[in-house]
Amino acid sequence: MRILIMGCGRVGAGLATQLADEGHEITVLDTDSFAFNRLLPKFSGRRLVGSGTDDRMLIEAGIEGTDCFIALASGDNRNILASQKAKEMYGVKTVVTRVKDPLRSELFARLGLHTFSPTKVGVTLAHEAIFQGA
Amino acid sequence: MYIIVVGGGAVGYGLALELQQMPDHEVTIVELSGSRTSQLRAEIGEMVVHGDGSEIAFLEGVGAGRADLLIAVTADDGANLITCQVAKHWFNVKRTIARVNDPRNEALFLRLGVDSIVSAAGAVMAQIEATLPEHTIIPLMALEGTRLHVVDIRVQEGSPAAGRRLRDLEFPPEVLVSVVIGKQGANVPSGDTVLQVGDEVIAVIPRESDAAVRKMIAGPIEGA
Repeated sequence: MRILIMGCGRVGAGLATQLADEGHEITVLDTDSFAFNRLLPKFSGRRLVGSGTDDRMLIEAGIEGTDCFIALASGDNRNILASQKAKEMYGVKTVVTRVKDPLRSELFARLGLHTFSPTKVGVTLAHEAIFQGA
Repeated sequence: MYIIVVGGGAVGYGLALELQQMPDHEVTIVELSGSRTSQLRAEIGEMVVHGDGSEIAFLEGVGAGRADLLIAVTADDGANLITCQVAKHWFNVKRTIARVNDPRNEALFLRLGVDSIVSAAGAVMAQIEATLPEHTIIPLMALEGTRLHVVDIRVQEGSPAAGRRLRDLEFPPEVLVSVVIGKQGANVPSGDTVLQVGDEVIAVIPRESDAAVRKMIAGPIEGA
């Protein structure tokens, strides 16, 4: 699959590495070239400096031929904006969006995005851990 | 009416001053920066609150559930779009208006249900187009979700349409001449209406027909 990842933080870099190992064709986009230091030297995918909310960048990153777009930048709004572009304007089939705010995550899931909230996951895990220990 | 303005920059501030003059409106200005909030509160008072206007929990606190209108005018297109979507789909705010900073985002905003967009670049472009003789077709309004837009074209000297009846003009498909503004005032034309040099024509046309319609009504481009 051709996969475009927006945001090369710990999650973005980790996912990019794993997907590249599995043989997928990966492009990673980040506004800060320093973020690419999180990728191992053996990473074979493309690294591109630019914003995933900018149409010119998205096109340069190959959004038009991509099978999957994953938004993992730090800002919720930027992730949601870019994901809606990928889905609505460029017709990307699989779009996954990280939304830290659990309420916004719920709302945009209702509006058709595949969202997940690390905050909600964290709350659940912490809550479970408390009562497992008890 | 209860109006929430998100973004206390130059646009939000100007808007707040205008809205303050209108009685019967309750207005809240939401500003993300703490220091900017203090500055605005010193100037225009308690109506300014500090917070993230795209955050659902925060919007609930400022009464978004009873807002009639939400206007998002920050410098960040992501924040403006998402704030309007949250207002519309979470709080059922009747009307949302967003500022679009990057003109390439205009189509997306309208498609995703923002009721009106305000684009500085778009507005300036329309002015430029109105000034340049080679841009004699002025886009007035895009029709949401279609390829159609409403345009204003002036019949100029040398126009192939001048002195001819509308019914005799071979327009591209889906072109509708809605209003002709001449010396006698504005008229809804019939097929027998004859266009005169100096007339202004308001038409609904598909975007891809801009060049063809311009050539036909406005006439040859000077110096081209």
